[in-house]
Amino acid sequence: MYSLQLGPEQLEIRDTIRDFVTREIKPVALKADRLDQCDRTLLIDPLDQASRMGLRSLALSEERGGAGADALTSCIVTEELAAGDADIAAILSESSRLAHILFDQCMNDTQRDAFLPKFLDGERYHLAFAGREPGNDTRLGVNYHRPADRDAVVKTTATKSANDWIVNGVKDCVANAPVAGLFAVLVQIPGRPHANVVLVPTDAPGVSVRPHDKPWQHGTCGEVAFKDCKVPAANLLGDDAAATLTGAAAPGRGIPLLQALNLGIGRAAYEAALDYAHLRVQGGRPLIEHQAIGTKLGEMAIKLEIARAAVWQAAWASDHPEAIADRSLSDLPLTTIAQVFTSETVMRTAKDAAEIFGAMGVMRDMPLAKYIHDARVCMHSGDGNTDARLRVAEEIAGYRRADKRAMRLAGE
Amino acid sequence: MDFTLSNEQRSWQMAARKFADEEIRPISLERDTISTPRETWDWDIIKKGSKLGLRTMAVPKEWGGQGTDFVTQALVMTELAKADSAISKAFSQNWKWSHLISASCTEEQKQRFLPAFVADDGWVLGKGITEPSAGSDNRMPQDDPKTGIKLRAERKGDEWILNGEKAFIANAPVGKLFFIDARTDMTVPPKQGTTLFLVPSDTPGFRIGKVFNKSGWRFYQNGEMIFENARVPHANVVGEVGGAVKKAGGAGGDTTGGDLFGDLELAANALGICDDACATALKFAKTAKQGGQALFAQQNVQLQIGKINMLTEALRSFVMRVAWEHDMKIHSANAGLAMNYSGDVANEVTELYMEIRGAEGCHMDHHTDKILRDAFIWNHLASDSVSRMKVVRRLAAAA
Repeated sequence: MYSLQLGPEQLEIRDTIRDFVTREIKPVALKADRLDQCDRTLLIDPLDQASRMGLRSLALSEERGGAGADALTSCIVTEELAAGDADIAAILSESSRLAHILFDQCMNDTQRDAFLPKFLDGERYHLAFAGREPGNDTRLGVNYHRPADRDAVVKTTATKSANDWIVNGVKDCVANAPVAGLFAVLVQIPGRPHANVVLVPTDAPGVSVRPHDKPWQHGTCGEVAFKDCKVPAANLLGDDAAATLTGAAAPGRGIPLLQALNLGIGRAAYEAALDYAHLRVQGGRPLIEHQAIGTKLGEMAIKLEIARAAVWQAAWASDHPEAIADRSLSDLPLTTIAQVFTSETVMRTAKDAAEIFGAMGVMRDMPLAKYIHDARVCMHSGDGNTDARLRVAEEIAGYRRADKRAMRLAGE
Repeated sequence: MDFTLSNEQRSWQMAARKFADEEIRPISLERDTISTPRETWDWDIIKKGSKLGLRTMAVPKEWGGQGTDFVTQALVMTELAKADSAISKAFSQNWKWSHLISASCTEEQKQRFLPAFVADDGWVLGKGITEPSAGSDNRMPQDDPKTGIKLRAERKGDEWILNGEKAFIANAPVGKLFFIDARTDMTVPPKQGTTLFLVPSDTPGFRIGKVFNKSGWRFYQNGEMIFENARVPHANVVGEVGGAVKKAGGAGGDTTGGDLFGDLELAANALGICDDACATALKFAKTAKQGGQALFAQQNVQLQIGKINMLTEALRSFVMRVAWEHDMKIHSANAGLAMNYSGDVANEVTELYMEIRGAEGCHMDHHTDKILRDAFIWNHLASDSVSRMKVVRRLAAAA
């Protein structure tokens, strides 16, 4: 039954993370020099602490050493973290998501034995999916409601040599690349009809990572080059892994982690404005007592509640496919729907929150300019909302594309 | 109705366009990248522009300036802002306070300051109003004597002793001469107890504090002003003691401190950003390809380009009408309404422009990001609730 009543564990973890963010993340994330978008260094200490709290392995099943968090819990945690720092939230949610997909769904026992202990032991051992390649055009755009001219070809190759795979190629904009211990690499094995995924540890010979400077993406990302990189033949994942990792298996219906992250940014902006509106006195009374400001804050609260409902609904649908099967929930791509509504809501919220701060709202070393930048990144990560609307349109038009796999290389 | 520009207006527009293309645009992104706020300013571009009259064009001809009309000023601000909004503002900020000097200073004061300002290519002007605890309260003054600005000025013989601070003051770190609002009577409402002073940057006891680290308008600097027993001669009082608010309005009949020009200035500058977005969007849509086709082939891209051009041309009509009304000495709330509107339009146009561009993988085009950050400046000083309500008060007063 569709229900958004949180269980005691979910409520407890939310309170725990909120407390952690207040005590450990906000004091360092909101320092003036860290707020400047030109100087956004990764907050290593809180990231490690969060790792030790189990947030890196949150979605990994309990029997394999994780917390076995479902999609809704993962989204709640991501929102809380992002309210403190979007970069920390992005790195942890990506590792946690991939831990569940890789260790619980895609790996066989041999592969798990090879990599799971390292992942569990190393608090800085993050996971990354190397799918996108330089020049990949993932937009729907001109291909709306018509077949794409040609499939996006995976140019990175894996060729068999005795008992090894030799990987060659370059991946770009790989989330978590600079902090990853293990890459799941989308490769083309010559002669096979579809792409495959091979596991490549960061310390394998021939792997080089070039971090991107100030990317338009949260967390940390980079270019990863594989030059005659040799890994054991056993590192090849099953044929379904490519569709699972790219999101092609259920386009627009993945766990709405980015949307939860976006929501956290909006909530941080809203809460900052609300606090300030109580404190700041102009026109003879606190700002919040002014109709114009009250209306803005009211609008923020309204839109953020609806955005959260959209994110939680998509998360619930991801956890409960039966809710779609029995028509409790729509079979539309709810994650894409949540993305459009949430990103536009959070952008508006961040701008209105900044206005409440007056000139302090446009200063780089104050929180609001950070929230605005972060909200803009969410508006334009992936292929943007114009494209997202087209993806929803294809679904409601009943258009079935044969090349979903190729179109979804960038993930959700 | 005649929309034709005079030859003189046209020639100023062409000169500004040439300067913008050849001198401003090539340095725009480079200045925006500089992360230390104190280092973003470039005297070279200011001096080059000054030699073309871009610093002094609002100074009357009899005082050695170019004495341009408001239509010309609007055209030039737009052209300069099309290449860099912050650099355009760095020039026009001088016109704003040149207007104030012309409207409010005595012949003796003009004699002391105007020729020196006109002669020195490195002389820029500013005005200090805002204080840490007085933002909106300055813009919409309250009757309570305890509200509003706190900077005190006390008379001692032929001098006034100023104590207090100002925040976010444009050109503070680079200016040579400032208009400063100070409280000369703390027992009456700020409207009656505030006096306007001319304060040169080398005034003893006066110094500049931090330079603010803005997300947009990087080139254009805003700083703190600190007054510690700063000594200003009585001869530097502009108008009457206690008459700051009235005097700053000048002959325009607007009593809000130079806003007669300031509103037009923000609207004309925003128009430049929009012109930039429209031109760049079209060029991008025609050259960038997806699946072998120019982006322009897509209906969504066409609709977005149509919308940004529609908004931009509507803004242009409004800006030029206000400029013309100023030249005709027709004063109304229109300048303020145009300013409010320009904030809405600049934000919507640059946001749509970013949507047209999209991110390229995990990268965003620097110029796109910059004009969006520049346009966002309008949110707190042109299209915010306080700015809007101020304008509505003018509407109501005129009715």
